[in-house]
Amino acid sequence: MAGFLAIAAIASATIASAAAGSAPVGAPADGEWPMPAGDYAATRYSPLDQIDPANAPRLHPVWSFSTGVLGGHEGQPLVVGDTMFVVTPWPNVLYAFDLSRAGYPLKWKYRPNVSRAAIGAACCDVVNRGAVYADGKIIYNLLDGHTVAVDAATGHLVWETKIASVADGETVTMAPLVIGNRVIVGASGGEFGIYGWIKGLDLATGRVVWTGHNLGPDAGMLIRAGEFHPPYVSGTQLGLRSWAGDSWKHGGAPVWGWISYDPKRDLLYYGTGNAGPYDAEQRAGDNRWSSSVLARRPEDGTLVWAYQFTPHDSWDYDATGAMILANLTIGGKRVPALVHFDKNGFAYTLDRSTGRVLVAKPFTHLTWAKSIDLATGRPVMNPAMQTGDTKGDVKGICPSLEGGVSPASPGAYSPRTHLFYTSTNNFCMDYTVHRIAYIKGTPYMGVSSPYTPGPGGYLGAFIAWDATTGRVVWKDEEPYPSWSGALVTAGNVAFYGTLDGWFKAVDARTGKLLYRFKVGSGVVGAPIAFRGPDGRQYVAIYAGIGGDWALLAGDTLSADPTDLRAPNPLVNNLASRTSQGGMVWIFGL
Amino acid sequence: MRPHPTQSRRASTARWAPPTLLLVLAVSGSRGATPTHAPVIAAPGVANPAHIAAGGLPPPGPVVRNPYRGDAAVARAGAKLFVSMHCSDCHADAAAGAVGPNLGDGRWRYGASDAAVFRSIYFGRPRGMPAFGGMLGAQGVWVLVTYLRSLPPPSDLPTERFTRH
Ligand code: HEC
Repeated sequence: MAGFLAIAAIASATIASAAAGSAPVGAPADGEWPMPAGDYAATRYSPLDQIDPANAPRLHPVWSFSTGVLGGHEGQPLVVGDTMFVVTPWPNVLYAFDLSRAGYPLKWKYRPNVSRAAIGAACCDVVNRGAVYADGKIIYNLLDGHTVAVDAATGHLVWETKIASVADGETVTMAPLVIGNRVIVGASGGEFGIYGWIKGLDLATGRVVWTGHNLGPDAGMLIRAGEFHPPYVSGTQLGLRSWAGDSWKHGGAPVWGWISYDPKRDLLYYGTGNAGPYDAEQRAGDNRWSSSVLARRPEDGTLVWAYQFTPHDSWDYDATGAMILANLTIGGKRVPALVHFDKNGFAYTLDRSTGRVLVAKPFTHLTWAKSIDLATGRPVMNPAMQTGDTKGDVKGICPSLEGGVSPASPGAYSPRTHLFYTSTNNFCMDYTVHRIAYIKGTPYMGVSSPYTPGPGGYLGAFIAWDATTGRVVWKDEEPYPSWSGALVTAGNVAFYGTLDGWFKAVDARTGKLLYRFKVGSGVVGAPIAFRGPDGRQYVAIYAGIGGDWALLAGDTLSADPTDLRAPNPLVNNLASRTSQGGMVWIFGL
Repeated sequence: MRPHPTQSRRASTARWAPPTLLLVLAVSGSRGATPTHAPVIAAPGVANPAHIAAGGLPPPGPVVRNPYRGDAAVARAGAKLFVSMHCSDCHADAAAGAVGPNLGDGRWRYGASDAAVFRSIYFGRPRGMPAFGGMLGAQGVWVLVTYLRSLPPPSDLPTERFTRH
């Protein structure tokens, strides 16, 4: 794990100087959780080892707090020093809890004035995937297209920048990352025909320094002469020529997930979402760089390489899930890897220097492709699963458009077990699309896609994955789709939550269930571990079903007497086990 | 934003016209009533106490009528419009509820009358319901209202039972 350690070392060397101003903030000091995935490599690995498989059965809740907000509680808290920070779904309240005092009272709370109009432009519930700490500031995105920086000590606004336009269908749900002087942000709106982008803001002022589009002309994508080297393809204007006519202008490719960063290569990595509209025949071509991973320079956004997981996406297979960086040994060779569990059901191990695919294997049941051709990087597609307005009702497409894993459910990597951990889904869809016109501010979708269970009698699973060979090492099946992020610790315990509201600790080596507790509402957030001011290890998790499940299991919503929804046939008894809520839980020994 | 009374009356009787024309009519409704004068702003002082009654008693106003009420052919046309105008992408197939609320459950945030449903679609609503009046005109909106009103509310929705006895 030389690379991993190198990242950690650089990062902890810089964290001390962060307060001075311009120095980049890196991976956490041991026991903190200052950025969405815990570290730049997006491993969601905690070096804490007090909780282990032997004592984990003694875990118990030590504290809980209602956020006062309903809606999908995706993402995770941050812990910096003796403070825990929590961002809620819209209206995006920011709470700062004092972990050094009994009962963890609030130091302050910050309530931005977020537009209500953004609620209708959010495709999939009014979620927020969390904040990042840097330079004495908590930085996060508001649903209505603003990034705010709040003084971590006082709760006062330091700067606020409008980054996105709700009128154009852009909302912001992603978790920003701070790299050096740059705050990296992107917008959702793959369902609203946006012209997808990522931006770098100035950490001190919030000023937009660069905007790089994910599709369209080279100039807009920040492709600079001689600097763009995608594996497998070459030439100019790839983001233009791979779209019929000017379909790229409303082609989507949003950024609503996670950013990771390799300090040694000075590359940031992120995934792009689906192409729009859902009728793929309206946008003939590969539709680069939707459903792709892109590598850029944080300072000026220069695009260095890009690789497309799902060319000509015909199934809403966003690639916005986490890009986890780890140094692995594959065929006896050390490789700087990037591991990604895609909605399309394949897990990819790439060389993160070049973007070339080293390993690509299914981690869940899939039918849309047979395999990934390592020579070309392209999927070997199943022609019967191609969709489009002339294709009628295409049945039996697996995974469904919810993904073999939701990008909202980031995985984890343990340098101890050398395994990756992730939630997965096991259900399929029938898919009908119709031709659709672009109407600004309304969805650019045109799809009907009922879901059916996948084989095996379970709808989700939490798995351990060997990314060097592409194989499931163990699998904990779940009756419902598994929608939470993963956490793994140096104590060899992995943590996740379930849609029916269980928080679970399992043995990272075997998957054996060690502890579970019913947290009141389904879990769609991601657990974190931290060391409290008392020196003990704790694990925190949000409860609060929502995200896509606010739409899919509308009968879990109870707060509006004028909005009654029938159960979803796929999960017709989910509402017997959970209803909406919004809670922060802390567990300890 | 409440519809100007005259505007609504005109809207309800307007024949099909290009959307831009209808939009002009909608925003200039008061001129339609008194074509040669600028609108008169009422002086302070209220003649009819019913106008200021507390407790939500609405002032008497024009009756806004759905010209297609109960017309099954119009409702079928509205079902198509519901898809082609992207309503179904936010409210789901058959208006069963997704980003926007269920519109077929017989319950309404903003009132159950045809006129209230018309206003929701024509002018939009604050929590992200776009205004479609400018695009569809009054006639198009009435077609949608007629479709939504034709959806039979399921009889058993208030109780969701998970066990069988
Ligand atoms: C961008 C998503 C979106 C689109 C497109 C959309 N709606 Fe809505 N709609 C909403 C939301 C969100 C609400 C709730 C607004 C609120 O409560 O303020 C709503 C509310 C409504 C209401 C009021 C419901 C009530 O309970 O009173 C009606 C009626 C309605 N929509 C009809 C339509 C029709 C007809 C169309 C197509 C012409 C449409 N909507 C298109 C999102 C949308």
